Amino acid sequence: MTTHVMLIKDTDFSAVDRTRDMHDLFVKQVRDAGLADSVQVVRAADVGIYNRGIVVKMLPSGTVYAGVSESDIETIVETTVKKGVVVDRLVHRGENEQVRIVMRHCGVVDPESIDEYIGAQGYQGIKRVLFEYSQDTGIEEMKTSGLRGRGGAGYPTWLKWSLAKSAFADQKYVICNGDEGDPGAYMDRSVLEGDPHCVLEGMMIAGYCIGATKGFLYIRAEYPLAIKRIQLALDQAYAAGLLGKNILGTPFSFDLEVRLGAGAFVCGEETALIASIEGRRGTPRPRPPYPSDVGLWKKPTIINNVETFANVSYIFYKGAKEFSKIGTEKSKGTKVFALTGKIRNSGLVEIPMGTPLRVIIEDIGGGVASGKKILAVQTGGPSGGVIPEQHFDTPVSYEHLLELGSFMGSGGMIVMDEDDCLVDIAKFYLGFCVDESCGKCAPCRIGGYQMLKILEKITDAKGTEDDLATLKRIAQAMQKASLCALGQGAPNPIISTMKYFAEEYRQHIVDRKCRAGKCTKLMRFEIVDAKCKRCKLCVINCPVHCISGDKDNGYLIDQETCIKCGRCFEVCKFEAVARRY
Amino acid sequence: MTKKITKADLDAVPADRAPREYIKVGMSSCGVAAGADEVFGILASEAEKRKLPVLVKPCGCSGACHAEPLVEVCVQGLPSVTYGRVTPEVAMRILEEHVRDKRLVQDYIVDVPVRR
Repeated sequence: MTTHVMLIKDTDFSAVDRTRDMHDLFVKQVRDAGLADSVQVVRAADVGIYNRGIVVKMLPSGTVYAGVSESDIETIVETTVKKGVVVDRLVHRGENEQVRIVMRHCGVVDPESIDEYIGAQGYQGIKRVLFEYSQDTGIEEMKTSGLRGRGGAGYPTWLKWSLAKSAFADQKYVICNGDEGDPGAYMDRSVLEGDPHCVLEGMMIAGYCIGATKGFLYIRAEYPLAIKRIQLALDQAYAAGLLGKNILGTPFSFDLEVRLGAGAFVCGEETALIASIEGRRGTPRPRPPYPSDVGLWKKPTIINNVETFANVSYIFYKGAKEFSKIGTEKSKGTKVFALTGKIRNSGLVEIPMGTPLRVIIEDIGGGVASGKKILAVQTGGPSGGVIPEQHFDTPVSYEHLLELGSFMGSGGMIVMDEDDCLVDIAKFYLGFCVDESCGKCAPCRIGGYQMLKILEKITDAKGTEDDLATLKRIAQAMQKASLCALGQGAPNPIISTMKYFAEEYRQHIVDRKCRAGKCTKLMRFEIVDAKCKRCKLCVINCPVHCISGDKDNGYLIDQETCIKCGRCFEVCKFEAVARRY
Repeated sequence: MTKKITKADLDAVPADRAPREYIKVGMSSCGVAAGADEVFGILASEAEKRKLPVLVKPCGCSGACHAEPLVEVCVQGLPSVTYGRVTPEVAMRILEEHVRDKRLVQDYIVDVPVRR
């Protein structure tokens, strides 16, 4: 007999946490009802529900009550605990539930044990493929599933496979793209670390369907734990006969090898990645021909993302029909996002396609940690865009994000609040792309640099209104003429911030103001003499000794030498240092 | 040399495994960075020292990176729950209160609603 558990949590972010009081009342009620032996009342740290008052979750039934008041305590204990009947009017019906497909084994199995993976229905997908599918029916199954590439662009996976399958060659390759480089994104790392075997299984299935006998896992060297676990998983799979010659006694043979990326962002681009595996410098080449025709060592090659392969093994285990029930019409399945920035619960969330952004940020992520007003969310990394708060009801799918001027990307999602300056954010992302540009094509190499110079000019209080037009012109040139997605996508953060936050650019250029106080050249620190108690803390702490004066005449900051580090502002106990912008 | 897996082995995997008694510690990069190594060490060595009937094992990150280290506890007679922000002290309380006395530890449970 399992003991019943009641989790109690006050989910409001008010000054007073009522969790403890409600817990005590529930304990008393349970004791009075004579149920103290079979029911435990526990205060929870987090129940994954926010701003819904007192929440009570029953275990093991999973019933959740929200907005519970003191007068409901007796009803809940008498009805639900005693008789097992649900109190309808209190039931919480939120959309805060996540779905686990890609991360189905993450946090469940021991990633360093092949036995645990097999015990959790692992390698059932490859078994079904080998014994029940031909190459064509396998690809057909992928088509039914509607899976699209999870690396960002959303190219239909089955189509890529089908092209590689019909290409005629003596050797074909499968590559897993684990070169995850977007700032703030780490879904692939988590899957590689938490469930390495499911990625191997997905690659084996892909190999069978296109007729490849060799595959490479391209993982960036900055992920030492992921590399260690993948290598261990490979060794175990070889020892168990699940890789190598005649897998499961069938004619199908498949070999896998790990290749380390040295950390160049551009190597996430498929043609640059191929060059890197071949041992050449990681630079992209014009497409077509696509890798499905001319890929690794000029042989037909498919390159899919880690998350895509994790989906593949699920599709062949559960069936494509089951998979395609989840998601929207054109975007099937789930997507994992790495939720970071000014969010209360940073971490990985896996949601069905079509879930509105607001649900992800407010219901699952718990809103902004500081309690300040939420401004925007950045999706898709350096090639994505910024989505302002008024569009948060948009469902997440490839099409909808594109419409908003952003894109799915690999799944980074960075939340920004009032303290963030959008011009500064745009400058950060562009700076990243300029650093990472391989320099092969002129639009990306020169255009990116020039745009960055203009943005720096704007944040240095030297911007003119003509700059905005120039930015737009260069952006268009980069989008149209760059060789690969890095250059084509690099202007996106600027275009989207200029579209949604034009006022902010205007403030920087015309008013010479930065609302958030991020652009240091547009602000200054001043000592308010009336509040100053002459404690000299600011003088002592100033790293550049730019505060002068004495106890009788007060102190003054020399604006010429000040480096705007904000140290005086932080140390002053009397709010006598003011930040002006 | 480990045994080769055959089709019959895969066919024989039961669809639903009876839940065993276990303690799982999230040991991906995010967990390790938050101190999961130490927590895992304490749980494993103390459980053995006290001859507690639970298996302590590592697992990947379940997604709630903000609350790492995460420790999932499943013992006979109690529903499985996950504790978040587990420190060495909380780890000891989990063993003493939850595993030995079958009383859940107050104030550390982190529940993330997930459908599998």
